[in-house]
Amino acid sequence: MDEKYYAGFMTSKPDWMKGLKFIRRRILAFTTDFVFLAYTWTIFSFIVNMLAYQTKSFVILPWWVMLIATVEIAGLWESFGISVGMRLLGVQVSGGEEKPMLRLGRRFLRFILWNISGIPLFGLIFATDQGKRALHDRLSGLSVVKAEPATSRRRYTESWALASFGIVLSTIIAAALFTKVDMRAFFTGAPKTGRIWAALLTPDWSVFLKGFRYLITTIFTACLATAFAIVFAAPLSFLAARNLTHGIIGRIVYTIVRATMSIIRSIEPIIWGIIFIVWVKVGAFPGVLALFVHSVADLTKLYSERLESIDPGPVEAIRATGARTAHVILYGIVPQIINPYLSFTIYRWDINVRMATVIGLIGVPVIGQLLYQYTQLYKFHMVGMMMLLILATVWSLDYLSARLRARLK
Amino acid sequence: MEPLLVVEHLTKIYQRGEILALDDVSFTVNRGEFLVLIGLSGSGKSTLLRCINRLIEPTSGRIIFDGIDVTKASPRELRLIRRRMAMIFQNFNLVRRSLVMTNVLAGRLGYANPWLSALQKFPRSDIEMAMANLKRVGIPEQAYKRADELSGGQQQRVGIARALMQKPDLLMADEPVSALDPATSNSVMQYIELMNKEDGVTVITSLHFLSLARRYGTRILALKDGKIVFEGLPAEIDEAKFKEIYGEEAEEVEIR
Repeated sequence: MDEKYYAGFMTSKPDWMKGLKFIRRRILAFTTDFVFLAYTWTIFSFIVNMLAYQTKSFVILPWWVMLIATVEIAGLWESFGISVGMRLLGVQVSGGEEKPMLRLGRRFLRFILWNISGIPLFGLIFATDQGKRALHDRLSGLSVVKAEPATSRRRYTESWALASFGIVLSTIIAAALFTKVDMRAFFTGAPKTGRIWAALLTPDWSVFLKGFRYLITTIFTACLATAFAIVFAAPLSFLAARNLTHGIIGRIVYTIVRATMSIIRSIEPIIWGIIFIVWVKVGAFPGVLALFVHSVADLTKLYSERLESIDPGPVEAIRATGARTAHVILYGIVPQIINPYLSFTIYRWDINVRMATVIGLIGVPVIGQLLYQYTQLYKFHMVGMMMLLILATVWSLDYLSARLRARLK
Repeated sequence: MEPLLVVEHLTKIYQRGEILALDDVSFTVNRGEFLVLIGLSGSGKSTLLRCINRLIEPTSGRIIFDGIDVTKASPRELRLIRRRMAMIFQNFNLVRRSLVMTNVLAGRLGYANPWLSALQKFPRSDIEMAMANLKRVGIPEQAYKRADELSGGQQQRVGIARALMQKPDLLMADEPVSALDPATSNSVMQYIELMNKEDGVTVITSLHFLSLARRYGTRILALKDGKIVFEGLPAEIDEAKFKEIYGEEAEEVEIR
């Protein structure tokens, strides 16, 4: 046995809700199957309606018929085979040691009883981890067990794989119908763009200086946003690292910080830009704020993940010398994270420059704004100039950031 | 003279998985002793060592170090106790990206001025002491290299230098040589022995090889499943005792 030590204030994930695990699994499996089947129905209906009647409708039967049918099919599926939900959550219906996947009669009985006891969920109340089985399982002489690697596989036990393939295929077909994929236009329309290509490839140098000024704003916006973001993200990352937050308060802080950061991160910088344009006023400053907010959230996540994977050994060793907690962090943790932190920061700065270009769309005076304006005015020679500037910047940043990060390995 | 360390009814239960790691362990360590802990992996040796300086919180029992109750110590008192008991580790536990010098000076953190050392500033006397200790373990020329550039044996010697910086009364070594090859093992063990003989530091070390335990230990303590199954002189371990500690299939391996 290899012993694993947690260096004191580094604690591990608690086992919450141990007991209810199995029932929860079964409910989740059914929910998954229900959603899976409901989605399949909807997509299938859409494809049929589209191909047969050219209407964009998601229903072919009254909704209640589809609802009941979905529930019943899910029940049948779970009784006779291994459904997608069961596969994902690792359970299967077993007919006993010697014939785990057979006993069709009993399985049918289970399905009938399941309608009585399973649907209202009463049957599940009797089901706990070991021995006790749900009513419909008990009466039909079957049991739901943890899935084991099957010794003899039958086609119907692998229905989940077939169904998964089906759902992927139908999603692609539906998506193609929905977005009106037009392959003929794609292959014949190319010559019409010739003029634009020609214009883009002969950039208009008269707007070079103007573009360059905007480019500088773009880079400075990114620099400022990144610099401020480090100041906030570095301390926050300690609160967002699972191994450094302990106790009830620690756990609450951890959860709050993590949740807030993931919400902030899921809002695109361009949306933040709109918010900050209203908040402060139009100009480059809302752009800085937008990138700053998004960078803090992103860097906190990257930093804290790095913190979670530090070697606890040195931390333990520094603690053993009688050092204060602040010193344990400075001597045991910081040297382990400083280079990865710098590396992430450069990476983020690189992203910020690209994003700063994009937020020009909403009126922040960065190079993206000029790009957008000239496109609207069909001045493609000038657009070409802007693209050249952006290209040069992105290329050199890419190179620079890669070189710097290689040094920090 | 009163013993340096008294351990009374020490019990440790790990909450996760409810493993009983230490089961009512009691023993005393006298000043100047070289106590060797032996036993299979998972027998509780590392847990025992970490309970003594409370890197792991004991579940119950008492630990008295030089008349002070470690188990009741406040965080501040605990720091003062910890700086008197140095520790070296199986995997050296150096900060790999830091300089050897910084790693050695870290041993001084328990004594240092909190503000200056936060800025990585140490008094000249500490730096001289670090250099002297590196000389003592034979690697003064490595002082300004990064710790991960050193070989395993050299890294463990840095660990010993770091321990020396604490001017400890007690040295605890957790499998100090099990990550090293036999030749290096012996040289590292000799440095530990030197600390014991020249500086009068009491040593508690866990060791995998009984031959090393016999050669360096003044007393041996054997653990099995968290219980003490043998306590006595190295010479007292015969074939029967050996089988009791390590199990029927075990066979003694010689290491030189």
